[in-house]
Amino acid sequence: MSPQKKTLVTIILIFLPLFFFFGTLCIGRYYVSLNDVLITLWQGLTGTRSGVSAETATVILQIRLPRAFQGAMVGAALGASGAAFQSLFRNPLVSSGILGVSAGAGFGAALAIVLFNSIFLTPVFAFSFGILAVILSYFAGKIDNTSTTITLVLGGTIIQSIFSALISLLKYLADTATQLPAITFWLMGSLASTKTADVFLALFPMALGMAGMLILRYRLNVLSMGDREARTLGINVLANKAAIIAFATLATAGAVCVSGIVGWIGLIIPHVGRMLVGNDNKWLVPASMSLGACFVIFCDTLCRSLTGGEIPLGIVTALIGGPFFIYLLKKTKGRSW
Amino acid sequence: MLRLNNLSFGYTPKRLIFENISFVVQPGEVFCVIGPNGCGKSTLIDSILGINQPQQGTIEIGGTSLTQLKPREFAQNIAYVPQSHTKTFPYTVLDIVVMGRTAATRGFGAPDTSQRQRARDSLEQVGLKGFEERLYTELSGGELQLVLIARALTQDARIMVLDEPTAHLDFRHELMVMEIITWLVKERGLTIIMATHFLNQAFYLENASVPTRVALMNEGRIKAIGPPSTVITSDNLKDVFKIIATTGTTDEAGIHRKFIVPLKNIR
Repeated sequence: MSPQKKTLVTIILIFLPLFFFFGTLCIGRYYVSLNDVLITLWQGLTGTRSGVSAETATVILQIRLPRAFQGAMVGAALGASGAAFQSLFRNPLVSSGILGVSAGAGFGAALAIVLFNSIFLTPVFAFSFGILAVILSYFAGKIDNTSTTITLVLGGTIIQSIFSALISLLKYLADTATQLPAITFWLMGSLASTKTADVFLALFPMALGMAGMLILRYRLNVLSMGDREARTLGINVLANKAAIIAFATLATAGAVCVSGIVGWIGLIIPHVGRMLVGNDNKWLVPASMSLGACFVIFCDTLCRSLTGGEIPLGIVTALIGGPFFIYLLKKTKGRSW
Repeated sequence: MLRLNNLSFGYTPKRLIFENISFVVQPGEVFCVIGPNGCGKSTLIDSILGINQPQQGTIEIGGTSLTQLKPREFAQNIAYVPQSHTKTFPYTVLDIVVMGRTAATRGFGAPDTSQRQRARDSLEQVGLKGFEERLYTELSGGELQLVLIARALTQDARIMVLDEPTAHLDFRHELMVMEIITWLVKERGLTIIMATHFLNQAFYLENASVPTRVALMNEGRIKAIGPPSTVITSDNLKDVFKIIATTGTTDEAGIHRKFIVPLKNIR
């Protein structure tokens, strides 16, 4: 990439999420002008009273702001984890769920719904079991103090199918009037129930995971050369792999525990990033964060404003993402990626 | 100076791939490891790279055991050019070569502008100036091999280990690699360890007055070690490869060169 193009793409990738962020605060069944949004945000920040109605202030500050923020974080976390895992596993077809974090989180959420039916415990269980699933995958794939790519993927696949079976078991046992729909909707993914408390709950693991991935992102280039070459290029392969898996898992588990299972982002966003900035993870990881944030905010805005009810986020991301990806593929002819 | 003391390795302790290997690689020489398929060459190379932990024996570099080196220190001492490389993502050629600076970069960050300049210099030195922004997935096998040599060169290690560096190359690229190896030893003072099936390469180096020694391996042991002319002989090849081969010399185009030609299998 030429320096001029790099600068331009960097500026776009910084400002695009802001554009989507303020856009989604305005748009909805109850339209608020950008001016009123800014006044409301200022009012919320400083506590000064202004000319905006209490109704508007509630919609912006209590409903749309946490949801927009959560959407941005979830998209960024899933995009970055997807990019990290694709490089780590040297496979452009893996996504953030490759080591079973989504399946584990789904089981945790279903368990909390069946056992406690608690709004607070569902994300906590989802997070814990998401992490547990990855730890199990890691140790299932670890042989003789090494963890080769292929055995890790196998471990992940096995743990995923075990947790999927356990989710089915819980669905089978669940009360069909209340619990089964709750589990099903959770698995489809949604930001509809975002509360300010959830935002703070999930913020910490997502921010920590993303910070870790940003720090280690150049190591992803080296690891994508394969274990032998990475070692002879001078990095501790096992430690770097473990650290990246830990950070990507924290970010993904933090995202999934509040959004449910939103597929597609961890797979597709890194590829859109590659078309824009190339394969160097120094650029790709932050680009995937930016694009993931934009994409989730955009899809979530459609979820809540297209119809009178809420459409699950996972459905919209797939329906929008699929055709969009085909378009990009045709346009770039898959070359620079 | 790289010293192997009584080195033995097997994937299972009962079945050793090679046994009691000892030799010293002197600074500024090319040390060729030759032998039939399955004789333990690649496994020996893996041990030198620290990928295999030997069952017995030690490898020392300048008096320090290799096992005591951290990955970063290791990479600053030994650079590696793999025999085959799986291309997963279409990095640019410069992205690939600059990875040679990983060990020299502090912290976890990416190599900076001056490091990138080092990578550009290496590319120029292997004859690939202008390839910086090309996608390495679109290179020919010969060009890719030169890129991987440039990456190893960028590592700035005193020892370079090449595993069958001309395995998939045509004559022209084979000669280019041999010219680069000659340059690396004569002008840059590097020490080269290479595994190869192309025995004439040892004669090429010997006739280019590069200090060259050959270790002929067979069934996990070293059968002969010494200058190419004394090791690569019809008798030795008969014993080890079970073939009839003949040696000769040429003075075509003003180049004095010894060569060996395989003639037939011994039934």
